[in-house]
Amino acid sequence: MMRSLRTRLLFGIICGMLLLLLTFSLIVYTVIHRALLNQYDASLASVAGILAASVEIDENKIELESDVQQMPEFLRTDRPTYYELWRSDGTVALRSPLLSADDLVHLEGSINALVFAMSQDKNSRPLRAVGMKFIPRSANTDDKEQPQLMQEQAITLVVAGDATGLQRQLGLLRWLLLGASGVTTALSVFIAAVVVRQGLNPLNSIAGEIAAIKEDDLTVRVGTTSVPSEIAPIKNRLNDLLSRLENAFTRERRFTCDVAHELRTPLTGIRSTIEVALRRARNTAEYQTVLSDCLTIIESMQTMVNNLLMIARLDACQVAFRRVQIHLAELVNSRWHPFSGKAVEHRIAFENRVPNDVTVNSDPENFSMVLSNLLDNAVEYTNDAGQIWVTARHTDDSIELTVANTGCQLTSGQVAQVFDCFWRSDSSRTGTGTHCGLGLPLVQRLVRALGGSAAAEVQPGGVFTIRLTLPASAPCNGQKNPEIKRP
Amino acid sequence: MRLLLIEDYRPLQQSLTKGLRETGFAVDTTRDGQEGLWYAMSNDYDVIILDLMLPGMDGLSLLKKLRAEGKQNHVLILTAKDTLEDRVAGLDLGADDYLVKPFSFEELLARVRALLRRSYREKNPEIKIQHLRIDLTTQRVWHGRDEIRLTPREYALLEYLAMRAGQTVSRTDIWEHVYEFKSTASSNVVDVYIGYLRKKIEQPGKPPLIYTVRGRGYMLGPKA
Repeated sequence: MMRSLRTRLLFGIICGMLLLLLTFSLIVYTVIHRALLNQYDASLASVAGILAASVEIDENKIELESDVQQMPEFLRTDRPTYYELWRSDGTVALRSPLLSADDLVHLEGSINALVFAMSQDKNSRPLRAVGMKFIPRSANTDDKEQPQLMQEQAITLVVAGDATGLQRQLGLLRWLLLGASGVTTALSVFIAAVVVRQGLNPLNSIAGEIAAIKEDDLTVRVGTTSVPSEIAPIKNRLNDLLSRLENAFTRERRFTCDVAHELRTPLTGIRSTIEVALRRARNTAEYQTVLSDCLTIIESMQTMVNNLLMIARLDACQVAFRRVQIHLAELVNSRWHPFSGKAVEHRIAFENRVPNDVTVNSDPENFSMVLSNLLDNAVEYTNDAGQIWVTARHTDDSIELTVANTGCQLTSGQVAQVFDCFWRSDSSRTGTGTHCGLGLPLVQRLVRALGGSAAAEVQPGGVFTIRLTLPASAPCNGQKNPEIKRP
Repeated sequence: MRLLLIEDYRPLQQSLTKGLRETGFAVDTTRDGQEGLWYAMSNDYDVIILDLMLPGMDGLSLLKKLRAEGKQNHVLILTAKDTLEDRVAGLDLGADDYLVKPFSFEELLARVRALLRRSYREKNPEIKIQHLRIDLTTQRVWHGRDEIRLTPREYALLEYLAMRAGQTVSRTDIWEHVYEFKSTASSNVVDVYIGYLRKKIEQPGKPPLIYTVRGRGYMLGPKA
């Protein structure tokens, strides 16, 4: 398995190139080889034809016309041409003088057919031979007797020419093709290396840009200069990932800052309360006041830490839920009880308009927490002598629960932020002490984890409504197993 | 010395007010930015202690308005925000000092005292007038080797006069710098306290320390 893209590309290009070159060379070689051989064979065949035509048989004696015997091809010693004739019984009838006692290869085909073959002479010189079997002319007989001669008097003629030149030409051609292939391959290795390197340059530059990204500055984006279209998708995905990372980091940092800030203010409260108390000797009542003040602060810090922990667990899906049928109207009444005193104090009227037949299949503890947070929030922000009411109704396959209160001064833009952690309508973040801006974010996360959704809206007249949509029955996976541990 | 504390977190506001009052400062306090601005505009506070995140109007806007109106009060910012940008923003808008929560009450006091000395161009934390020695840090007063016991209100009055020693200080100035906004106004309460103070710091047979400037106010004798 090749890891490097460059090696893979180079290997592919060079192998392909080599294969193409070899195939091409082989074709060229075959074509030229055949053409040269055909040409040579044609000339041998014509010599054989002349020889055959000049063979005469006379009383079982086979003769060649003397002027044919004197043809220069048969006499010269360089590039000689040999011939040999056999009778049908296999005895040698005639052979060219240059052969002395040697035999040529005995090529025998059917009558008048040409048979070609390569062979060697006694000096290991390559020879190209053509053999033909024919019925020679009879010197002194009539044409009528010809058929009788056929079988017994058929003669095999083999003509062989020096093939050294042919072999040399073919050898040269082989070397030429091999050399050309070699040089082309070497050049293509070089060119491919350069082209591949050039082609991979954008990858290298993107890799360099990625390497230069520091974890403390995720605002940078890669491939700001033009990149090839093949790399653009990677670049875009990478930049998307960077954006998401940047957002997550920013959110995380802001959240951490917010948490630190939210804890610092009450800590300062405790510290200065104690420090001021310790500056001089005081009576028991004064110390009791200081201790109870500190306890109140610690309680609100504890609530905040619990809420934060719950939010973190919900975000990490680490909260186990069970499902039981909850009578909604009863639960609203019981959850309202702790706030009724404060409501009376502020002359706030509370109305539970939940119909008696509405039940919710949900986790009792966590759903109670949702209701408590909503009612707490409502009591906190309702105007004096204002109103709070809770309604519920069945829709197609869900239950819609609303908690509404008067006295809301939020704009619709601000309402969109009520589910953000630590968000408060006022620039003051510590104003009420007990309300640290985690109640509604916790509600939203809890409701989501319980399979529903939460929405906030403000209506003309300052009516603030939180609308929860909850599944009417348990989700399919929850019916069999009452303990749902989300993964 | 009269301070304005603008802090919306009730436990902190209560403890700081208590601590500062027990130290002898006259403290006006509010939890609302708008109200704080109104307080600051209508009185001449020696130091304003300002939280940044406030309902009504945030601390930085308040500071901006205050400076835009030409108020030169020393402002000490209290905040939980501690990034460099936050500090720079606060100081650039005209704050004199910056204290990040959680802080120690002693540090707050020390910084307030430093600002007060700057207000009255007094770098030495000990003021001497003839035989009288006032330690501004420990808030103790000596006559020669004898320590003089003063109530917080008497000390505050003496400290204010000492800060402006050699100058004639009007009754209104004293009223504005030593008494709180919500104190019940009484035309002769200043004269009564000057009387108490004279009895404690002046010794029979020696030249007076506090002079009455007829029709204008009082003057603590020139510094030694």
